[in-house]
Formats: sequence, C-alpha cells, structure tokens
Amino acid sequence: MKLKSAFAGFVSMALAAVLLAGCANQMDPARKAIADIEAAVTAAGPDAAQYIPDQLQTVTNQISDLKMKFDQKDYKGVIAAAPALLAEAQGLAGAATSAKEAAQAAALEALNGEWSALSASLPAAVAAIDSRVNILSKSRKLPANLDAATFESVKTGLADAKTLWDQASAAQAAGNMEQAVTAARQVKEKADAALAALGMTAG
Amino acid sequence: MEEKNPPAWGSPESDPPAQEPPAAPADSAYTQWYEVKSGDTLWKIAKEAYGDGSLYPEIFKANQDILSDPDKIKVGQKLRIP
Repeated sequence: MKLKSAFAGFVSMALAAVLLAGCANQMDPARKAIADIEAAVTAAGPDAAQYIPDQLQTVTNQISDLKMKFDQKDYKGVIAAAPALLAEAQGLAGAATSAKEAAQAAALEALNGEWSALSASLPAAVAAIDSRVNILSKSRKLPANLDAATFESVKTGLADAKTLWDQASAAQAAGNMEQAVTAARQVKEKADAALAALGMTAG
Repeated sequence: MEEKNPPAWGSPESDPPAQEPPAAPADSAYTQWYEVKSGDTLWKIAKEAYGDGSLYPEIFKANQDILSDPDKIKVGQKLRIP
C-alpha cells in the first residue's frame, strides 16, 4: 500500500516536471515572437504615427493583449496569435510610406491650386496700385481720403510687393511651390493693404 | 451736361482726321470704375479721385475706347479711373 502511494506520488511529480519543462520551452519562443513584432513596429518609424495613427494603434493594442497573455503564461496562445500580428506589424512601414506619399501629393496639389489663383490675380492688383500711385505722385494735392503718411506707406508696400512677386515667380520657376506660395501670400497681404488705403476695390 | 474742361490737346483745326477708336485696355478685377452723374466733368472726377482736377487727362487716356472728347461725357457712362 505504501509502495502504491509512493509510486503515484512519483508519477504526479514526474508529470508536473514534464509539464513545467514544456511551458518553459514555449516561454522563450513566445517572448521572441513579441519582440519580433515590436521590432517591426519600430521599423515603421515616426511616419507610422504621423500618417497611419489608427492602424498603428490597432497593432499596438494587439501587442498589449499578447503581452497580457504572456504574463498569464499562455505561451501557446501567444505563439498562435503572433504570426498574424507580425504580418500586420510588418505591413505598417509600407502603409506609412504610401500614406506619406499621398499626403505630400495632396499638399502639392493644394499649393499648385493656390498658386494658380494668386498668379491669376496678383499681377493685375499690383499693376492697378502702381498706376494709381504714379498718378497720385503727380497730384498737387492728395485726395481727401488719403494723407501723406498713408501714401508713403502705400508706396513702400507697393515696392515690397513687387520684390516679393519677383521672388515668388523665381521660386515657382525653380519648382519650389511652398516658397512661391508663401511669398505670393505676402504679396496679397501688401496689395490688399494698399488697395484699402487707396480706397480701391476688387470687382 | 457738357461743362468744358480746360483745353489739353491742340485746336479743332489741327485735329487729325477721324480714326477708329482705340482698343479697350485690358480690364481686370482691379479696374476701378466710376459711373458719371449729372453735373460731372472729367475735371471734377479727377479732383475727387486724385485730389487734383488737372490730372483729368489720365482718365481720358484710360477711356479713349469710350470717349472721343474729354469734354463730352454722358450721365450713366462707366469710366475707368486708373
């Protein structure tokens, strides 16, 4: 009887040892699987956070779930789920690049559109202001709605606008649309100020 | 309504023969327009726009497609004010 219970005890201990060894065998692969997934996310870089934040968040959330499984010693569960999540994580880099290119193309299209509008109107605005300033410069007395100080500031603004327009045109010719549009916006500001000071309106 | 502006261009005898009116200048959204009212002359319009009526030839020059004579403007005419 004593021998029987000793044998049963031995078998239980042996079984537990085998199970423990099995678990320990899966722990390292599970740990490595999570590490590989996290490395794939890191490889996607800051572009993933900027251009595909929702997709990145989905993968990050799933990594957290996987880590929870690991903490609960469900190494089998981690190993089973890891391949699909790894594929998703590896896809982040390509998705971020595509999203970034699409965003840059959209931004360039917007700049081109803004340039078209500004370049269609600003030369005429500057010409109209120029014509009025030339005539007023011959005047023996300024009109009632314009004092000398304001007229001087209009002339300065006009000179600045012409310089800025040359810079904008040069930037556009060189393909630097951001610089071209930035300069053109400044031309518009100066032209609008001059038109208002002169009591002129756009039709 | 034909008040006279001071003479600016020669006497009628030396006027050149009638010609085609000049082509309209290229207008833009920034062309300033003025509608002639009763009692207006180019001198008065120039005085209002430029502070100096003697600059009326600038208005005439800008409107030679519409005006053949700076002394002859009509109520309702729309003139460019450069």
